[in-house]
Amino acid sequence: MCARVAHFDLRDQSGAPLNLVPLSIGFGLVTASVLALASLGLTLQFGVTNYVNFAYGAFLTLGAYLVWQISSGWGVNFIVAVVIAALCMGVFAVVAERVVMRPFTRRGSALFFLLIVTFGLSLVLDNLIQAIWGPEYQTFSLPSPGPLHLGPFLLTSYQLIVIGVAVVVMVAVHLLLTRTTVGKAMRAMSDDSVLASVSGIDIERITMLTWFLSGFLAAIAGIALAVTTVSFVPAFGDGFLFIIFAAVILGGIGQPYGAMLGALVIGVATEVSAVVIPAQYKGVVAFAILVIVLLLRPQGLIATRGKA
Amino acid sequence: MLLPPIIYEIATLAVFFCIYNVMTWGLNIQFGAAGILNFTYITFMAIGAYVAAVFSLPPQTPGTGVTYVLGLNWPFPLPQVMGGVAAGALGFVVGLVALKRLRSDYLAIVTLAVGSIIYTFVGNFTQLFSGWDGVVGVPEPINNWINLDLNTYEIFYVVVVLAVMLLAWFFTHRLFASPLGRTMRAVREDGDVAEAFGKNTFRIRMLAMVLGCAYAGVAGALLVGYTGAFSPDGWTVGETFVIWAVLLVGGRGNIVGTMLGCFLIVVVFVEGTRFLPTGFLSPNLVATLRNMVIGGLLILTLRFRPEGILPEPRRHFAEIRKGSPEAERAGAS
Amino acid sequence: MHHAFGGLHAVDGCSFAIARGALAAVIGPNGAGKSTMVNVVSGALPSQRGRIRFDGSDITGWVPHRIARRGLIRTFQISREFGGMTVLENLLVTAPDQPGERLWNALFRPALGRRRDRELVSQALEVLDTFELYSLRDEYARTLSGGQKRLLELARAVMAEPKLLLLDEPMAGVNPALIDRLGRHIQRLNAQGITFVLIEHNLEVVERICDHVVVMAVGRTLATGRMAELRRNPEVVTAYLGGGHLERATG
Repeated sequence: MCARVAHFDLRDQSGAPLNLVPLSIGFGLVTASVLALASLGLTLQFGVTNYVNFAYGAFLTLGAYLVWQISSGWGVNFIVAVVIAALCMGVFAVVAERVVMRPFTRRGSALFFLLIVTFGLSLVLDNLIQAIWGPEYQTFSLPSPGPLHLGPFLLTSYQLIVIGVAVVVMVAVHLLLTRTTVGKAMRAMSDDSVLASVSGIDIERITMLTWFLSGFLAAIAGIALAVTTVSFVPAFGDGFLFIIFAAVILGGIGQPYGAMLGALVIGVATEVSAVVIPAQYKGVVAFAILVIVLLLRPQGLIATRGKA
Repeated sequence: MLLPPIIYEIATLAVFFCIYNVMTWGLNIQFGAAGILNFTYITFMAIGAYVAAVFSLPPQTPGTGVTYVLGLNWPFPLPQVMGGVAAGALGFVVGLVALKRLRSDYLAIVTLAVGSIIYTFVGNFTQLFSGWDGVVGVPEPINNWINLDLNTYEIFYVVVVLAVMLLAWFFTHRLFASPLGRTMRAVREDGDVAEAFGKNTFRIRMLAMVLGCAYAGVAGALLVGYTGAFSPDGWTVGETFVIWAVLLVGGRGNIVGTMLGCFLIVVVFVEGTRFLPTGFLSPNLVATLRNMVIGGLLILTLRFRPEGILPEPRRHFAEIRKGSPEAERAGAS
Repeated sequence: MHHAFGGLHAVDGCSFAIARGALAAVIGPNGAGKSTMVNVVSGALPSQRGRIRFDGSDITGWVPHRIARRGLIRTFQISREFGGMTVLENLLVTAPDQPGERLWNALFRPALGRRRDRELVSQALEVLDTFELYSLRDEYARTLSGGQKRLLELARAVMAEPKLLLLDEPMAGVNPALIDRLGRHIQRLNAQGITFVLIEHNLEVVERICDHVVVMAVGRTLATGRMAELRRNPEVVTAYLGGGHLERATG
C-alpha cells in the first residue's frame, strides 16, 4: 500500500540478494512515518474535541492535491508548495470546524450526529476534489529517486526524507505539548475538558489551533503518502483512513505518543507481513490488529480515562 | 407485447423504490431504533447480492472463463433468503467485535474498516466472485417457472419486489411497535442506564445489527435479481450515503418517513436525474455533483431538521385507569 | 439481606452491611469513594478484592444487567432520563418480565407483548399518579423540569420492582420543597418493602429519614450507626472538616 519500490533489483552493493525481512522493516519505517504524521493529526484533534473526524481521509487527499496543483500545476518549487499547501489545509480545517461542526458542537448534539456530519463532509470533499481535478490518477513530476542502500535497508531518497520529516514533526509535537502553553492547554483539554475550561483555558482558541494543526499534519501526511505510492487518486486518502484508525486505536485514542507507537507497530507489521502474504492484503493485517485491540484492550496501549 | 418505454422507466423506478425502502428500513432498525452507526451498510447489501447470485447461478459452463463458486441454481426465494442470512451473519461477526464498547466512534470505525477490507478482499480474491469483474448472468427469479419475455418480466418483477417490501413493512412495523422496539430505543437513548435497569444492552444491539444487516442482504439479493450482474463498482461509499440520506431526511424511527425519503431522494433525485439531459456536463461530473448534493443535504438536514420530515411517532397508550372501562376489559382478558 | 464488600483502588477496605427493609445512607466528604462504591456494587466497575453479597447471592463480578434483574437497582447522580421517549414509556421500559422483548414474540406473537403492556400501563399510571406526574405522561422526558426529572428517576426505578434501591445523590441540586416530597416518597416506598441505600450529602435529610448511616472517608468505612451518634463521633467530624479539602478525581 505504501512503500512500493517499483522496479529495483533487490541486491546489495556486492551483488548478493537482500534479505526480505529487514528490507520490509525498512519499508515498514516509511509506512510508519506516514502513519505517524497522519495519526498525530487525528489523535490530537480527537483529544481536544472528543469526536472522530471521518473527513480526515479527505483532508489528506486535499492536501496532496493542493501540493500537486501548486507545484506541478503552477510550477512552484516543491518544498515551497508543500509548506503553502500545509498552511492552507490548516486554515481549511479551521474553517471546516467553524462552519460545519461548530453549529452542532455548540448546541451539544449527540455524538453520533457529529460523526455523521463528518462523514457527510468527507463525501462532499471527496467529490469536490474529483470535480475539480478529475478522477484519473495523478503523479508528481519529480525527478526519479535513486535507491540507497543503508545496511540491510533499500530505500529511495524520498522515502528517507519522509522518515526524516516524520521524526522532525514528532519531536516538534513533543516540544509543543511539553514546552508551550498551547500544548499544555491541549493536553489539559484532552485529559479533562471540564476542568480545563474552569481553569481559564480559552477552549475556542485551543480548539481552533488544534484543528489547524490537524489540517497541517494531514496535508504533510497526504503528500508523504502520495509521494511514496507514486500515483494518487481522489479516493486514496479514504482508503488509508482505516489504517490510520488502527494506529490511533492501538496507541490509545487521544494519546499522541500512543499514536506514534501505534503507527510504528502497524507500519512495520503491514510491511513485514508482505513477505508472506500477497501485497494487496496488507490492509487486512492492519484490520486484524484493529480487531485484536478492540477485543482485548479497547482503550489501546496508552489509555485515557473516560475516553474509551 | 411491448409497452411504451415510459412504463418500463416507471417500472425501474418502482423496483428501485421498493428495494431501497427495504434497505433503509434495515438501517432504520440499526440507527433509528437502536442508535447503531453503520458506515458501511452497503457492504452488507453487496454480500447479500453476491451470495444470492452464487446460489442462483447455474453450474459453470466450461470455456467461458468466468469463475463462480457453487452453481446451485436454486429457485426463488431461497437465494434471497441466503443473501439475507449471509449478510446477517456478517453483521453478527462485526457486532461481536464492535458492539461491546458503547461509544459510537468505535462501531463507526470498525464498520468503515470492515467495508474497506471486504471490498479489497472480494476484489482481489478472484477465486471468489470473479474479483473486480463481478458476477454476471444472474438468472431472473421465478422466471424459469413462468417464462416471461424480458420486457414483461420487468413489470412482473415490480410485483415481486413490492410483495417483499410489504412483508418487510409488516414486520418492521411490528418490531417498532413492540416492547422490543421500545427497549431498543431505550438502549439508543442511554445504553448505560438501560443496562442498569436489567436490559442486556449488548444483546439488544446485536439483534438490531443482525436484523438490519439481514434486510440489506435481502435487498441486495433482490437487486442482483433485477440487474443480473453485480460488481464492486456498484458498491461505493456514495451508496451508503444515499441510504443514510434517505433515512435522515425521511425521518429516522419512522417507517413511512423512510418511504417518503426514499421517494424524494431515490426516485426523484437520484434516478430521476438520470433522465435529465446532461449535454454540457460529463456523466462523471453529474454523478460527482449528485454526491455532493447528497452530502450537503445530509448535513443540512441534521442541522435544521434532525428528526427528518416525518419524525419518530410519539407512542400513546389507551387510558387504562382503575375503574375505567378499559381496565375492566384488561382485567377480564 | 447482606451487603458487604471491600477492596478497590479508590475504595479500599470499605465494608458494611445493610439489613433488609432498612432506609440507609452512605455519607462522607468529597472524594470518599462513594460513587465508586456505587459503581462497584452495581457491577459497572470491577472489584479487585472482597465480595458483594445481595439477598443470599454472591454478586461479585456480575454484569450490571444481571445484578439489576436480581433486584438491585441503582440510579445515577445526574438525571438520566430516556429523553426521546415519553414519561410513560420511561416507566414501561424498566419493568421486568416482558415477553414482548423477545424477538420471536415481537414479530410473530405481538399479543403477548400487548397483554403485558396493558398491565404495565395501568401500573405505571398509578405510579405516575402518586408521583404527581400523571399529566406529563405523554410528554417527552427531555422536556421535563429538573425537579420533575428527579421524580421520574424514582418512579422509573420503582417500576423495575426493586428489592433494593441504591440512589446516587437523589437530593443533589433539588429545591427544598422537592426534597421534602422526595423524602416522603422514599419513606412510603420503604414502608412498602423496598430497602433503600442513599448516597447523600444532605445530612438533614439523612438524619430525618434514615435509620442506619454508613460513613465513608478516603475509600473506607469509618463508622456506622444512627446520625445522632455519628455527629458526636470525633473521627467522623474530623473526616468532614479535614476531608472537605480532599481533591480526588472520583467523588
